[in-house]
Amino acid sequence: MAILARLDGGFALAQSGFIPLSFERAEWLWLALLVPVIVIFSFRSLAGLGPARRVLAIVVRSIVVLIVAVVLAEVQRVRRNEDVTVMFLMDRSLSVREHGDAQEAYMADACANMPPKDRVGVIDFARLAYLEQLPMTGGYFLDQGRLPKMPNPERTDVAAAIRLAMAMFPHDTAKRIVLMSDGNDNMGDALTEARRAKADGVVIDVVPLWYRVRNEVYFEKMIAPASAEVGEVVSLRMNIQANAATSATMVVYHNDRQVELPPEVSRQRFHTGNNALVLRLPVTSDGLQRFEARFVTDDPNKDLIVDNNRASAFTFVSGKGKVAVMTMNPEHDALFVEALRSENIKTTVIDVSINIPDLAGLLDYSSIVLSNVPAHMFTEEQMKGLASYVEDIGGGLVMTGGEDSFGAGGWIGTPVAEILPVELELKHKKIIPRGALVTIMHSCELPRGNMWGKMIAKKAVDTISSKDYIGMLAYAAGGESWEVPLQIASNKGAIKKSIDRMQIGDMPDFDATMRMAVTALRQTDAAQKHVIIISDGDANPPLQSLLDEYKEAKITCSTIAVGFGQHAKGAVLQDVAKQTGGRYYPVRNPRTLPQIFVKESKVVRRPLLIDTPFLPQVAYAQSELLAGMEYGVEIPPLGGLVLTTPRPGLAFTPLVRAVDEGERDPVLAHWQRGLGRVVAFTSGYWPVWGSEWTQWSRFAKFWAQTIRWTMRQEAPANFDTYTTVEGNRGRIVVEALDKDADYLNFLNVRSKVIHPTKGALPVEFIQTGPGHYEGTFDIDHTGQYIANLAIYDEGDQYQGSIHTGVSVPFSPELRELATNEALLRQVADTTGGRWLQMDADDDKVFDHNLPPTVSDQQVWSWTIAWLLLPLFLLDVAARRLASWLALSIVVELLIIVVLLFGADVIHTTWWGVLGVVLLGEMIGWSIRFRYIGPLFDWLTHSVIALGTTGQRSTAVLEQLKTARDRAKSEPQAQSRSHAGEHDETAPVDAKAKFDAGEPTKQAPPINIEQTLGGAESASPGAVRSKPKPTSGADETAEDMTARLLKAKRRAKRKLDDEGAGGND
Amino acid sequence: MRKTPDNTPVIVARRRYAPLLVALAAVCGCDPPALTPNGVVHSFGSQGLGPGQFGYPRGIARSPDGKVFIADKTARIQRFDQHGSFEIGWSMPQREAGKPVGLGVHADGRVFVADTHYHRVIVFTPDGEELSRFGELGTGDGQFQLPTDVAFDDRGFVYVSEYNGNDRVTRWSEVPGSTGVEYAFESVFVAGPVAGRVLRRPSALAVDGEQTLWIADACNHRLLRFDLDGKLLAEFGEMGKAAGQLRYPYDIDVDDDGNLLVCEFGNCRLQWFDPAGRSLRVWGKPGRELGELSSPWGAVVGKDGLVFVLDSLNARVQVIRL
Repeated sequence: MAILARLDGGFALAQSGFIPLSFERAEWLWLALLVPVIVIFSFRSLAGLGPARRVLAIVVRSIVVLIVAVVLAEVQRVRRNEDVTVMFLMDRSLSVREHGDAQEAYMADACANMPPKDRVGVIDFARLAYLEQLPMTGGYFLDQGRLPKMPNPERTDVAAAIRLAMAMFPHDTAKRIVLMSDGNDNMGDALTEARRAKADGVVIDVVPLWYRVRNEVYFEKMIAPASAEVGEVVSLRMNIQANAATSATMVVYHNDRQVELPPEVSRQRFHTGNNALVLRLPVTSDGLQRFEARFVTDDPNKDLIVDNNRASAFTFVSGKGKVAVMTMNPEHDALFVEALRSENIKTTVIDVSINIPDLAGLLDYSSIVLSNVPAHMFTEEQMKGLASYVEDIGGGLVMTGGEDSFGAGGWIGTPVAEILPVELELKHKKIIPRGALVTIMHSCELPRGNMWGKMIAKKAVDTISSKDYIGMLAYAAGGESWEVPLQIASNKGAIKKSIDRMQIGDMPDFDATMRMAVTALRQTDAAQKHVIIISDGDANPPLQSLLDEYKEAKITCSTIAVGFGQHAKGAVLQDVAKQTGGRYYPVRNPRTLPQIFVKESKVVRRPLLIDTPFLPQVAYAQSELLAGMEYGVEIPPLGGLVLTTPRPGLAFTPLVRAVDEGERDPVLAHWQRGLGRVVAFTSGYWPVWGSEWTQWSRFAKFWAQTIRWTMRQEAPANFDTYTTVEGNRGRIVVEALDKDADYLNFLNVRSKVIHPTKGALPVEFIQTGPGHYEGTFDIDHTGQYIANLAIYDEGDQYQGSIHTGVSVPFSPELRELATNEALLRQVADTTGGRWLQMDADDDKVFDHNLPPTVSDQQVWSWTIAWLLLPLFLLDVAARRLASWLALSIVVELLIIVVLLFGADVIHTTWWGVLGVVLLGEMIGWSIRFRYIGPLFDWLTHSVIALGTTGQRSTAVLEQLKTARDRAKSEPQAQSRSHAGEHDETAPVDAKAKFDAGEPTKQAPPINIEQTLGGAESASPGAVRSKPKPTSGADETAEDMTARLLKAKRRAKRKLDDEGAGGND
Repeated sequence: MRKTPDNTPVIVARRRYAPLLVALAAVCGCDPPALTPNGVVHSFGSQGLGPGQFGYPRGIARSPDGKVFIADKTARIQRFDQHGSFEIGWSMPQREAGKPVGLGVHADGRVFVADTHYHRVIVFTPDGEELSRFGELGTGDGQFQLPTDVAFDDRGFVYVSEYNGNDRVTRWSEVPGSTGVEYAFESVFVAGPVAGRVLRRPSALAVDGEQTLWIADACNHRLLRFDLDGKLLAEFGEMGKAAGQLRYPYDIDVDDDGNLLVCEFGNCRLQWFDPAGRSLRVWGKPGRELGELSSPWGAVVGKDGLVFVLDSLNARVQVIRL
């Protein structure tokens, strides 16, 4: 924990109110006590220096010690920031859909005069929270009415919004959330999140969005029994809440057919409060029974929200089971359907080009036949639903062949391919004709266009066979380039990775990329060559000559125009498709793109079809599907099939087509997948490939046997089941009793709930009492939640299944009739926030009444670089640099550097910095003046001296000669007496000789030596005495020279002593 | 020290003050000009929605008083002063279908924005107040298909270029008496084959001091010069990376000497030509550093010989002096 330095108490900074430093380990500051010791010690050891230099050196050393102490104490800079960051949280759920404009206007108003250093960010939320504006200075930048559509406004999750806001706050400002909401939070736990915010020092101000619907009637719930028998009469219990008495007309649908109700039921008089109703309806068919009830009030003013006037429920009725034959072409399947019906299998034909039932609809059937249906007819969700229907519900699936099924139908890489008993990729074929697909991607002007582009490019990689060629072209920063070079798609993972890395730039022109595509495609051996262009159409069209080349090379080119509205931009793309024999797709909803792509890439998958007749051979006679055909039953020939690969492992492949090289193509395969069973029949396509089969005497028997094998095994566990919805959780309760009404304990309930959008999700059941089991699941979406419970006993023996579920007909937002003021007040109170009003015209949002943020920043590394090193240099300079000029420069620079550091730490203003520079300069110059004054004196003296040279030169010369002789003899005597210690005397000797050789220069060296500092004179006193020799004309030159030489020698000795004493 | 050459003290003095100068410059927040590469004086703008920030800027134009207007892919027009300081910004009235790619500033200060994906031109005051709009979707007279740029001559005509199968330049004139509010289609100025090749994506227009119209024929990688009667005066440029060659010239401007400044989207560089088509110099290469460009869409000659170049993918404007 940062502790403010206690030792700083006496400093002026402390008195000014705040010290911008803190210490992590303040105990090290005791090191500062070493300073007096150092002062005393240094005072002695540096006695050789002049007083000024000595003081300077001691001061510098003391500071160095202090800084070492400070660094060891882990000094931190404390940044105090009073700026505020405000995050606006804007509720955009259904319940406040009328308040959007007001909220935007409020934010714009509040930010109109925000302080310049404050920041504002915007998050909008309903079920999920989205960041619309990062916290930034300068204002609110969102345009009125231009927020993107809120994806799932049927729920409100205030907690998620607070969480996102907390993640977005910058760390160095005060933090305030302004929550604009009606408080009808039906997802998360807003209060817990508010407490978390409080702990983080975030204040949440609340701007309530007021509304109160006074006249409202809504459906509370409708309950139907989970299961029933055919012929039973089921009771539908309904609860309707009314705020005011009103009369209404009730309508009930049973499996989408309107039920004729007796007048006492159809005409209702609702009183204020809860109205309970019971309707009894007979069930005449098996499968899933869906009930839906709606009412219309006579007086619309008494019921303002109509979307909440309905409820739905369902009941499972066990029976013999039905089969759905899904087809694109019912006439093709007429004989097949007739055969099944002749074998007493209830069969319904579903034309997928008209309607595809959702998962709840599929539950009506025990088995589904996909007869030559292409994958692109299904959305990703529907395919997941089909897979879930088999694996989690236990339904059967039969896929029969034709040019639109299996790999040729685009099923490669889909969720359905996973559950088929054959592999759609050709793994062992040595020679098959290949397809080649080149995709040209152009950056799309629409939001997230490039993301969609990449997504469908990956989809294309999934759907083509790994034996086909694939390549991607785009315009990157460096020009048109092969982002995925044309290659065989054997390593799909690597290709998808390069798609992720792809730069989709703004392509000026289709011509260049289309030319690259045709050149590359011409060099491949592919039998089918196809190009797909994805673009918003604003690149320039290709030249006609290029389109002619496409036609000549039989390369088709389909174009997908991604964009909005009625743009003629599509004209270019349309023309390209038309001329090359491709197809043109104008896409408004990007969600349809994957399906288009699957459909398009079908072009290159034609090689997967084999059109030559063959005789199927029995490869596994023990198969249940061939029961009764083991001995000598002749199987008629088939006209063709779709190539697939046998699936290793648990799949059986009873019928095959034998190929020369010992390879076998599966014709009939089957396996158990999850709870369900799946059959693949790669031929079929009855009038074209299977005409001889339809004439075959065993045709009906074979198929009835096959379909029955797949049908869902109904073994209803006879337990009571209840379902309820509590807030955003659904609950399933199972009461397990045996025949003798004894509790069944320790059962194992394996369950999956099929979510309206997310597919099957596991639900964990726990035993909460004798024979009492409970499981819960999240409800975050409107729609049907269907649960399939498989019950196993202690010994893991299957006991049966239960189908149940709940229906959420409308959003809970439509049930909220008033602002939840209590919750909002709690959120504000928890965090110490304020209660603001939208129409109050005050500027409270950016009030600076929050405690300032204090953030610590490590500065010790800085301290070393900025302070310690210069000070060390200064210490050396103070003792070593003989020149006052050089010293002054060093001192000046060091003072500036050190003070600039200090200035930066306390965030001083520009004039503070200027002051630092001026101070440094002042000190520097004041040191320099010590030298400039004497220099000036010497110069002036030189001029005077020159003027009198004529009179005195002879006399002076004579005196100098005498002095030289004396100087010569004196050191020689010394050197003799110090024989062996030549290192000490030699330099003096040399200097003396040198001086003697140039007697005329004797006067100037006094100053030169002092100035440029070969050897420093002993004391400032000596410096001050400089002018003396020149001004004191009466003094003899002899005396002066002798004194000078003495002083020089003294200085030399001192320097040598110091040098020998080591560097300290 | 005594043996140092005569000029040493000067160097010493410089060295002595260099750290001080740098420290002072850093404190004052200015970049010493000599430290920036390749003649970049400074750059402004970053990725974002705030004032002075961009999302893929694509259109740039200069007003006679030196202000710079920039249109970006967030459908905003922002005005900067001649030093690159943000002054004012506004949004296009619609943007869902796409954003404007080019604009021109009239001598009187009005801003003509080619609202590309709405197939029209919108006229604003320099402060962003809408004055009028003209053009509609189509290939006929008075219609546009993806207009890209607007230019003006001193006869009072307005030139608009467009592409996407309707590659041409049309000429418009102010309706007399409408005081700059209404514009009427006057003629198709250039369309179809020019010097043997049909126009392909004329992406920028510029009228020079001699009152001739320059057209950047981007997908033919060439520049065209016409007199105002529609007569072709010059044609030069071919696809390539060498000096004198072009790759997708997306913008052109004419400097005071009558030389052409060409912004090459494909080569990520600027190139100067004299009016005879001789390449004078080349500046820039692909990259993210200063002095490098990423998919530049536009450039203008600013006041005092500065050049503003839209470094589009880097979401900034580099200001250079050469």
